[in-house]
Amino acid sequence: MTPVRAAREPLLWLVMTVAAATAVAADTPQSWLNRMNAALTTRNYEGVFSHWQSGRVETLRIVHRVVDGAVTERLESLDGSGRQLVSNGSEMTCYLPDQHTVLVEKAPQSLMPAELPKFSDATADYYQLESLGTIRQMGEKAQVISVTPRDGYRYGYRLWIQRSTGMPLKTELLDTAGNVIEQVVFSSLAMRHHIADDELKPQLVTTGFNWLRDDGAPAVTAEGLGVWTNTQLPPGFHLLAQTAQMMPGVAEPVTHLVFSDGIATVSVFIQSQTIRSSPNQVRAGMAQVGSSSAFTSVQSGHKFVALGEVPPATVRFIIEALMHQSAGEIMQLQPTPDAAAKLAPGLGR
Amino acid sequence: MSNEELDSQLSAMFDDELPATECELLARRLARDEQLRGRWGRYAAIGACIRGEHGVRLGAPLASKVSAALTQEAKARAAPDPRSPGISWISSLAGLAMAATVAAAAILWIRAQGPVLVAQSQPGPAVNLAAATNPGPALQVPAAPTQQVAAAPTRPRPSREPDSYVVPAAVSQGPSLVPPTELANYIVAHSAYSGPLMRRNALSALVGEDSASPQITAQPIAETVNGK
Repeated sequence: MTPVRAAREPLLWLVMTVAAATAVAADTPQSWLNRMNAALTTRNYEGVFSHWQSGRVETLRIVHRVVDGAVTERLESLDGSGRQLVSNGSEMTCYLPDQHTVLVEKAPQSLMPAELPKFSDATADYYQLESLGTIRQMGEKAQVISVTPRDGYRYGYRLWIQRSTGMPLKTELLDTAGNVIEQVVFSSLAMRHHIADDELKPQLVTTGFNWLRDDGAPAVTAEGLGVWTNTQLPPGFHLLAQTAQMMPGVAEPVTHLVFSDGIATVSVFIQSQTIRSSPNQVRAGMAQVGSSSAFTSVQSGHKFVALGEVPPATVRFIIEALMHQSAGEIMQLQPTPDAAAKLAPGLGR
Repeated sequence: MSNEELDSQLSAMFDDELPATECELLARRLARDEQLRGRWGRYAAIGACIRGEHGVRLGAPLASKVSAALTQEAKARAAPDPRSPGISWISSLAGLAMAATVAAAAILWIRAQGPVLVAQSQPGPAVNLAAATNPGPALQVPAAPTQQVAAAPTRPRPSREPDSYVVPAAVSQGPSLVPPTELANYIVAHSAYSGPLMRRNALSALVGEDSASPQITAQPIAETVNGK
């Protein structure tokens, strides 16, 4: 063996070993989830999918464009209602022709750096990830990934991820008993290099529609936020964002807290109200929209709403913990030192 | 495929007896067949009414016809006809369904629970659930909303999971405290922080609400007045 060859062989083995390890890492369930999230947030695509939930099906078209990191998206119901939703970085507009109404929601200013749920090693404590192999879906090779919760505070998922693009061709949401409660299946999907502006405009006439929007920028302050951030949470959930925002039909800024376990997110909205009921009574109610659960409770001059793609009892748990905490603190709406320290410059008091 | 076969598929779908693969094919057909969507809408309305689902409301003309048909069906079941055993509800209502119009059905797709009046009380003593559910830092949670149940035997579980799980208790049902428009606002605001997949699904549910969903109003809940 020549000295040169002797020197090259270990290097070759090292390269091969690293390459093999990289290939294995690239095929882990977590890497497929990361690929899927990257594809959904960075690629241009247009497609038609069926959305099954609660024994009914809707067919929708989605047009998704990303330019320099800015996402613009149009979601259109192809069934009776003809509803459309157009979103960009600054606002989201929901056209409801069946209601002759347009809802406009401006993106809130967050008092914490904007962040999306991220799957991490800590998240693995609450979900079991498995790769169930490769099958054909919509004529394409798809990697099937299973995400199974380890307790009853979150839902499970099965994902059919297109191997060539990372796009989810089919997704299933499973309840705490493992039953499918929601399914999204693409019937057509095209990755596009360019999407014209016209494709993102709503294809309807809004003459005579009632527009509901927040008329001015909210005065975002930290007042009243900090007191809520130390509440007890279901295992694995942590505070992801906190803000105050104006919402249509509400006169004052609504406190908005976001909690996440790395996959699921729960929003909590808190607004002040004068209540015509006994202060010793608590009114509470549950609602379900798609796979999202919402729990509302009115107590001590505040309305609490928790909403998220989690089991109903999880949103109820969070609200009850908040209200337990609020019983002693609700009249002292002062931010904790920790919360105040997190405030972005210029947004705090 | 004949109309009869399609009706049979629709019937099976609403009885949860249609295989998933055939459901997908039917969904694709629904996307391009307006007439079939019309039939689907009628069956969905009637089926939901028959099942007595919360938040389902039929227009008066259709509701009365469904009621009459149900009465007839009940009588028929009391004295079964040996010539037509096993006939499904959809068959007995097929003629009615075909005669009705989609516009006559008003379905409230937002399923609501509450409000319930809850006596002011302190949560029960805190219990440490962390040891049973995760190896991370100990988290104290109130005992009230949880209960210990056995693991579902039919569901594959990771080997590291304990033998029992903490499962939140079921919630009660009733009308909602939040009107649909306000709920829609919350969903839109929430979606800004959801992961991309969950965000799309949540918004799809919002956009896909049935055309005859509840009337939009911009007012908060009736029992309250904004302001401090």
